[in-house]
Amino acid sequence: MTGPEVILDEVSKFYGEVLGVNRVSLAIPPGITSLVGPNGSGKTTLLNLMTGLILPDSGSVLMRGISPRDPERLMRITGYATQYDAAPRRATGHGFLTAGLLLYGYGRSQAEEMAWNALGRLGLEEAAHRRMESYSKGMRQRVRLAQAIAHEPDLLLLDEPLNGLDPLVRAATIELFRSWAAQGRHVILSSHVLREVDLVSDRVILIANGMVVAEGKIRDVREEIREQPCQYIVRCEDASRLAARLFGGSHVVEVRLLEDRTGLRVLTRDRERFARALGCMALEGERIESVIPADENTDALYEYLIGAGR
Amino acid sequence: MHNLDRARQAWTIARIELRRAFVSRRAFWVYGLALLPSLIFLGGSLQARLRESRLSAGGLTPAPLVDGLREGQAPAEVLERLGRPVYDRQWVTSRRVRDASERDGVTRHPIQPAVEARYVRLNILQPAYGSDRTARIYEFEVYGDGPENLALGRPATSSPPCSAGEGPEKAFNGSVAGGPTDRWCSRGGRPYLQVDLGAAREVRRVVIRHAGAGGEPEELNTRLFSVQTSADNRLFTTVVEGTGARLVDEITAHRALTYFDGRREARLEFADGALASTDIRPLRDFEGDRTIFAGVFQYFYLRLAVFFGCLGIFMNLFRGEMLDRTLHCWLLAPARRGVLLAGKYGAGLIASTVIFAGGALLCLLVLLWTHDPAEVEAYWRGSGMAHAFWYALAAALGCVGYGSVFLAAGLLVRNPILPAAVLLGWEAIHPFLPRVLQKLSVLHYLQSLCPVPAPPGRDLPALLQLLLAPAEPASRAGSILGLLLLTALVLGIARRAIGRLEISYGTES
Repeated sequence: MTGPEVILDEVSKFYGEVLGVNRVSLAIPPGITSLVGPNGSGKTTLLNLMTGLILPDSGSVLMRGISPRDPERLMRITGYATQYDAAPRRATGHGFLTAGLLLYGYGRSQAEEMAWNALGRLGLEEAAHRRMESYSKGMRQRVRLAQAIAHEPDLLLLDEPLNGLDPLVRAATIELFRSWAAQGRHVILSSHVLREVDLVSDRVILIANGMVVAEGKIRDVREEIREQPCQYIVRCEDASRLAARLFGGSHVVEVRLLEDRTGLRVLTRDRERFARALGCMALEGERIESVIPADENTDALYEYLIGAGR
Repeated sequence: MHNLDRARQAWTIARIELRRAFVSRRAFWVYGLALLPSLIFLGGSLQARLRESRLSAGGLTPAPLVDGLREGQAPAEVLERLGRPVYDRQWVTSRRVRDASERDGVTRHPIQPAVEARYVRLNILQPAYGSDRTARIYEFEVYGDGPENLALGRPATSSPPCSAGEGPEKAFNGSVAGGPTDRWCSRGGRPYLQVDLGAAREVRRVVIRHAGAGGEPEELNTRLFSVQTSADNRLFTTVVEGTGARLVDEITAHRALTYFDGRREARLEFADGALASTDIRPLRDFEGDRTIFAGVFQYFYLRLAVFFGCLGIFMNLFRGEMLDRTLHCWLLAPARRGVLLAGKYGAGLIASTVIFAGGALLCLLVLLWTHDPAEVEAYWRGSGMAHAFWYALAAALGCVGYGSVFLAAGLLVRNPILPAAVLLGWEAIHPFLPRVLQKLSVLHYLQSLCPVPAPPGRDLPALLQLLLAPAEPASRAGSILGLLLLTALVLGIARRAIGRLEISYGTES
């Protein structure tokens, strides 16, 4: 198990009574991997477990053959840009990076040069000697990225790295990730918007409620979500007529009349086609009062991952 | 990675952390604690210098003259011997006291010149000293030239008595021994008591036996009254105005003379023209000040200043970074957790030692600056340098010990108040603990290192004295070794704690 993979074996982490992640097993090869899930789903917990910022309650983690309990070795090959938007008071961007690099044992002049290079790659030369307190949110985000890559790590972990970046910088940053991965290194990033990362990633891991929901190449994952049927409750004037019409569509799996006969419970495999069909019927004179998603979890996940990017 | 590299790494961490240790917004008060004794001694020194210049301006008095004074001497005598004083203050104090001669509740009133009268009347203007409105007279005696009471058994009248048994005749029956039934009593309006002597007689004095004479509280004695006489029971003349128990002012004349012999200030206080007390004290007392310093160092500096200073500096190293949400930066460095701990501890130790050993030495310097250079030089040549060394070392080792404790506490608990309170309590009761447990107290070792034993606070309550009493001292080498072992033990606990440390800044996704 000392290959260049990131391996999580049955990893669980609880915060008191609250679940962080539950029995997660992953084997991540080099390349760009995205952890995708709604806020609170456990992405940050996974990244923190991989870097030893928190320790698993059960299970084990191996990062390219090194345990997170050995930061002396692991951190030499790991760069982690966290989401924690805090910097040491009074530090300048350049000073912050240099101080970090000194801990790797580099001499001062070498550390300063490496800090410059890293800041340059993220377009921060001009702000390098300003205090980080004066940085904008996007600049602080970039400083964290610069810090993560400054020592040329083989494992680059990034928590919501595209948050707060303007489109131009975002494209350049994505290009940076690509070039990193092209050298056989790991780039593991998290995002709560699937659309944001699906073009970049070699692999996507979908997380909800602390569990891996789907995993694999982006196309497979997309299908996997799309095919999860979901329920809606439709309130309308003539429920039985609407039921008959809906049954005509191939995307509809099941239609049930509600007990009070004023609406339907519809199970569909393709919500976009379902929405289009309802729209057409309404135009044709069918009186539809409301459409409410009945299966909140699946739908929320779908909306969150697919919808939020629109 | 070699251990040498790890040591270098720890030193790098310490250097980065020095700023946090020296200037943290959360712990600026640490400097206040370290500088407080210096400020107090500086204030005392400035005050002494100011006083000295003021006293010198008034002229110096030879020391032997100041020492040769006796109690009871008159101011004039002292002034003649010692000459003009620096200060000469005179004042009086007065105190209102009840006249001691009136204690028995009997008042005697001469009437001068004597009057011829048949009727003698006693008007009660204010019946008593308190709020009581009742007049009480046990006997009203009227005398001429001889010892015979002219009023005894004579017919009497009065304002309405309190009861039938307390009529006016009771004031002329020649007896007071019968208690409240042997008195005249009247209340309300203007009480009066009158006797008919039968014929015009020469009246030279009256004697009034008030409530006190009958065994009642003296507050019930008549407060204000007048005696009137008349020949025809129509026209009355006031011959006496009096009080039942006189209040008098006791006046004492004071005088204070201040002399200065160049070193000592002598304050001589006279009361009623006689020397009552002499207070001769040196303006600057080097030995006394050094004892005070020893006390301040042990009771304030080691117990409180270093203690809370280390709390401020060392708790902040980890807890402060958690509050700032920057601790993860350290955990993401390629360093063992133990190396991180060592680096942070080193930074705290450097800062706290500089601040508190420096503070102690600064205070000692201020103390020396105050005093006579010759005296100071002699002290410095003798034990002074060793004292300075041990004071600085005790403060530094205090930082070593308390620093490790608060570093560990910062890793183990969120709220610094709880461990501080527990530890402060522990340090206070350690003299009472069994010997083995005494060894687990930082203060136990520090006190043994202090070069001058702290003065016992004789003015303090017994319980407090017990609490302040140092435990049986250990040898110096033993103390240093013991303290270092204790520190190693606590740092071992801290090492375990940092191994389990996780980042949790609160709400996270």
